[in-house]
Amino acid sequence: MTTATNYASFKPAVLHVTPEGTGHLIGTRCPTCGAHFFPPRAVCSRCLTEDLQTVGLSDAGTLYTFTVIHQSTPGFQIPYVLGYVDLPEGVRVLAQIGVAAEQARIGMPLDLSIEPFGEDKDGNPMLGYRFRPARGSGAGTPAAASVKE
Amino acid sequence: MNDVYVIGVGMTRFAKHADRDVVSLGTEAVRAAIKDANLDPRRIEAAYCGHVFQGMAAGQRVLAQVGLAGIPLANVENACSSGATAIREAYLAIRAQECEVVLAFGMEHLTSKFKGALTPDEDDPEAAVGLTMPGVYAMRARRYMEEYGTTREQLALIPVKNRAHAALNPLAQFQDRIAVKQVLESRPIADPLRLLDCSPISDGAAAVIVTSDAAARRLGGGRAIRLAASSLRTGSVEPEPTSMSFEPLTHATARDAYERAGIAPEEVGFAEVHDCFSIAEALRVEGLGLFGRGEYLLAVERGDASLGGRMPVNPSGGLLGKGHPLGATGVAQVVELVRQLRGEGAERQIENATVGLAHCRGGKAAGVDGAACTVQILTR
Ligand SMILES: [Zn+2]
Repeated sequence: MTTATNYASFKPAVLHVTPEGTGHLIGTRCPTCGAHFFPPRAVCSRCLTEDLQTVGLSDAGTLYTFTVIHQSTPGFQIPYVLGYVDLPEGVRVLAQIGVAAEQARIGMPLDLSIEPFGEDKDGNPMLGYRFRPARGSGAGTPAAASVKE
Repeated sequence: MNDVYVIGVGMTRFAKHADRDVVSLGTEAVRAAIKDANLDPRRIEAAYCGHVFQGMAAGQRVLAQVGLAGIPLANVENACSSGATAIREAYLAIRAQECEVVLAFGMEHLTSKFKGALTPDEDDPEAAVGLTMPGVYAMRARRYMEEYGTTREQLALIPVKNRAHAALNPLAQFQDRIAVKQVLESRPIADPLRLLDCSPISDGAAAVIVTSDAAARRLGGGRAIRLAASSLRTGSVEPEPTSMSFEPLTHATARDAYERAGIAPEEVGFAEVHDCFSIAEALRVEGLGLFGRGEYLLAVERGDASLGGRMPVNPSGGLLGKGHPLGATGVAQVVELVRQLRGEGAERQIENATVGLAHCRGGKAAGVDGAACTVQILTR
């Protein structure tokens, strides 16, 4: 198991990682109407309630749509699969999808995976997140990760 | 409140202008608009300049070149809608009866700022996991194609059409027609989109002179075109994920513009829309209510959206054919509308053109369905 202690933190504050290397995405929940937001919001866009609660989000979802990126910014090793994942809370999360391009399918079940993801400006490895085919869903895992490591 | 008219238009050629800077491009466009209006520049009371990456006080550097010192000027940044937002500010100043004659221009020298595709701001959490602008539209394309059974070949008909229109526009970046096969064989950028599905990196500038109805009667020389609506919306934070094969933001902005202009979508005769990528044109025109949902590619196949068709879309060549110098794009759309409505469309002239619509939409912010969207309606 990867441990988090050797890694710099992932820059956008949307991921909580434990010292054991597990973790979850962070969103906000409206205590009045129950709406969830990712990335976190300060005010509910449905009912304008302030002081939303910070909550951990589900680690399983389904693939809404995806692309295979062939041209990207420095720091990303191409090609990689990128997709929007719908979570049961009613939020849609953009993430790299750890699946071979030809196996990606709209609607496929996926699980969150905390894993090495690029480097910070000083060259320290960072932890980040991808979604991978849900265990038992039959889709394989890819041979290569998609960020320079 | 005043009705609003456009009495002068001008633009540079859109191209990779390696030997020129943004001030030179902006100056050319502003002087062309003043000359087109046959206007004494001293009558201009205020100016708005749309740009995204041209640095501090870029608009003032152009005013200094054209002898327009002392008047109020505001630089406007609103992503790909910057130029259209500059026109809207001019429209509002006239509606509010603060001014009678206002200059709105947009400009961008992108080739000196970017080599490859533009990317979202790096602090954006979606950019941090590898999102690119072509990636945004590639994911929408895949969803649209899955829902409506659209083929890759059908999608290629959009760049093919817009490059054919651009070949008739001497100010367009691309002057050559392309075939479906060339689109399908061009370099993959973000599957299913390829290089020829993407608008190019461009330099250019465009300008319009906007006036009150009284000033248009006095100064317009009988060629004034009415700016019947100039609407702006920002994307909403949705508490539930929404469809990516339809654009609520474009739809809401258009509804506002139709209401203000007192015009129904069925009355629109032609449109310039923000075709930053091939799929974007389908999403725009369906969001605008100009074509039914999921029906646009079939209409393109029939020739309905081509010059000579029922509802020409992007007669100028659009962003895919004419080019996309961000801040200039929204202003250049209005330049094309005015020329068409005056009957100065030359080889691209649309017969009996009386109502034209311009649409821009740009920017990316995580969890928001688009940043800034504008819809403008012009009538003869
Ligand atoms: Zn709420």
